[in-house]
Amino acid sequence: MIEVNGKQVDWEEGLTVTMLLNKLNYTFPKIIIRVNGRVIDQKRWAEYIIPDQSVVQAHHLIAGG
Amino acid sequence: MVKSIEEIRSSRRILAEYDYEPASVEKGYSGQTLYINLSDNSIKPKTVTQQMKDIFIGGKGFGLWYLWNAVNPDTKWNDPENEIVISSGPIGGITQYPGSGKSLVVTLSPLTNSVMDSNVGGFFGPYLKFSGWDSLEIQGKAEKEVVVFIDGDKGRVTIEEVSIDPSASHLVSEQLTELLAESEKDKKNISIVSSGSGGDNTKIGILNFSFYDLRRKTARMKQAGRGGTGTVFRDKKIAALAVKFSSLGGRSNNPADPAAIARTGVKITREINKYDSEQFRMRQIGTANLMTPMNDYDLLPVHNFKYGSHPDAVKISSEVLRGRFTQNMPDGCWVGCSLSCCKAVDDFELQTGPFKGHKVMVDGPEYENAAGLGANCGIFDPDYVIEANFYCDTYGIDTISTGTLIAFIMECYENGILNKEITGGLELNFGNAEAAMELIHQISQGRGFGKIAGLGVRRMKKIFAEEYGADPAFLQDIGMENKGLEYSQYQAKESLAQQGGFAMTNKGPQHDEAWLIFMDMVNNQLPTFEKKAEALHYFPMFRTWFGLQGLCKLPWNDILPEGNAETDSPEKIPEHVQNYVDIFNAVTGKNIDKEEMIRQSERVYNFQRVFNLRLGFGTREHDAAPYRALGPVTEEEYESRAERYDRQLKEDAGIDPEGMSTAEKVKAMRSYREGRYETLIDVVYERRGWTNKGVPKLESLQKLGIDFPEVVEVVKKNL
Repeated sequence: MIEVNGKQVDWEEGLTVTMLLNKLNYTFPKIIIRVNGRVIDQKRWAEYIIPDQSVVQAHHLIAGG
Repeated sequence: MVKSIEEIRSSRRILAEYDYEPASVEKGYSGQTLYINLSDNSIKPKTVTQQMKDIFIGGKGFGLWYLWNAVNPDTKWNDPENEIVISSGPIGGITQYPGSGKSLVVTLSPLTNSVMDSNVGGFFGPYLKFSGWDSLEIQGKAEKEVVVFIDGDKGRVTIEEVSIDPSASHLVSEQLTELLAESEKDKKNISIVSSGSGGDNTKIGILNFSFYDLRRKTARMKQAGRGGTGTVFRDKKIAALAVKFSSLGGRSNNPADPAAIARTGVKITREINKYDSEQFRMRQIGTANLMTPMNDYDLLPVHNFKYGSHPDAVKISSEVLRGRFTQNMPDGCWVGCSLSCCKAVDDFELQTGPFKGHKVMVDGPEYENAAGLGANCGIFDPDYVIEANFYCDTYGIDTISTGTLIAFIMECYENGILNKEITGGLELNFGNAEAAMELIHQISQGRGFGKIAGLGVRRMKKIFAEEYGADPAFLQDIGMENKGLEYSQYQAKESLAQQGGFAMTNKGPQHDEAWLIFMDMVNNQLPTFEKKAEALHYFPMFRTWFGLQGLCKLPWNDILPEGNAETDSPEKIPEHVQNYVDIFNAVTGKNIDKEEMIRQSERVYNFQRVFNLRLGFGTREHDAAPYRALGPVTEEEYESRAERYDRQLKEDAGIDPEGMSTAEKVKAMRSYREGRYETLIDVVYERRGWTNKGVPKLESLQKLGIDFPEVVEVVKKNL
């Protein structure tokens, strides 16, 4: 299991950031991803493997109305 | 029949005139307000005091102060004592920083019967200031239709009878711009304020503020949309306001430190140039960039806020709308705005109504229009959205209120509360674009079922219960209004913080105080009541600040600077907050910091709360929300998201849904959610320095320096 934005999410072997975002349907183009406190650059999302039991923050920087 | 410009010119008859020496603006202020009373055609200047600048700053602060002094606790929106106050603010009118041309309109609202404020683009406010007037205060009512002309070049104000048809705002703006301009280029020096027949026939009338687009060769319009300001305008028999000012320059505010303003403006413009296309694409799509993510995250209001997404929403997605906007146009609503986000559809051929067959320029659609007129009514047709947008604007009705009230009507129709006999034959099912468009015409023209619809959701709830036998409790649940104002277009059911951001507001559920949905629901940055309360203190105070200064909030967080993600509070966009502090100090010569910025807002915000109290509102019961805003009203709604709601019942409420009927689950969920909302109110009031009734504490007023005797008197009565 990993924690994403404070909620428990199933983990799987080889889970990349891109895979996680697809799993959660997080489609917004401007998301800041931190894994265990470290910002993961968007260029690395397709290759960065999230370890099991990680704490992930996926902060959408959406301005809204 | 449309009159020629020569016919209009020769019809002008001056009722009153006032010649003046325009005060030069110093550090953001002209120091004078223009007071006009239409009952006796008096025109006079009033001095802007130091206390006003220190406590109320400008913009809606000035508007609230003037209105407070103009009315008494019993004044109604259509009494002559009610005023329309239009103000820029001390930063308003700079040309170096994006979003610096806003005007603030303050009046008593026909929808809420309390104080309303509305923030609008276009050139009127800055030109008014540079013509010598920090505010325009209009009281009284004219005997016959009048136009007020403010000539900032010549130093002359006139109240005139002019033969102009006030029913279609786009024509009023074009005709008066043409009338006053000495050349094509001169048209950019003119701004017109007008409403339309919607202002005459509904409680949801808007004010359109024009600005001339030299490339398109047309007068464009931005809207003071919320709360019926246009209805008040037309009740006073004002056909239009016009201002002309030809000497705009980069230093028209005579700022204390123009170099600092220029530096800050260059910095953010570089950000916009570099990052906008990979961030929110404001220059390409404007606020309509929200359509796709709102649907993806189940936050798009669909079918009267029942749902948050729809398979057909792709037909009015951000990309579809981007394809309709004319690209690569400098679409700022004030000079020098590099965010340039007020997109338009050119050469759109209208299919219905009095201008059928005309090819027009449509200002929009913005997100609210596409979401409200479209998705919330189940209409996923971009042509409908664009045409409805045009007609709402020119008729002068609020697109947000129109979308929400039509959605309410549609749900009532589908529930059998309304039928074809009542609606005059209109089959107002969700998705019926033809019926909805006809209803917009009827609303604005004051005929048929439109006469009832144009009263707004709150009055319709009463009528439907009393005259059609509807269950008032059901209507209360599904009628998306708070304080009498219709909800703006965000599905807030899953964000407790946003539920507060809508209903615990001064004026009603307009999201200009707080937009916390993603922070709360998706990012989970507000997991505790205390964090939600802190957000519901900080963001309303921060966002109020734009309304004091004459600013647009979009450049604050619709563009993100480099390194923002690494800051302690990226959602606050700290670098941009500092930009605003720097610009305020650079214009005014003062030396505020981020904390004083918030205190400036706290003074005005709390004053507005006390103003609400003075008028008989402003206490806890007025911050209640219809249950549709908090959770699923019907079994259908619950079952549409059953997995989510069952999980919440179990994990959050501690109730095992196993074996429960849907009706039982709806009831249990309701009890849980309503309880949480009440707890939120408790913590928010505490954080804001208010009693449990929602009344600002005396010590809070003292700390802020707004414990004027008349303010204390109101508060003491309510403690």
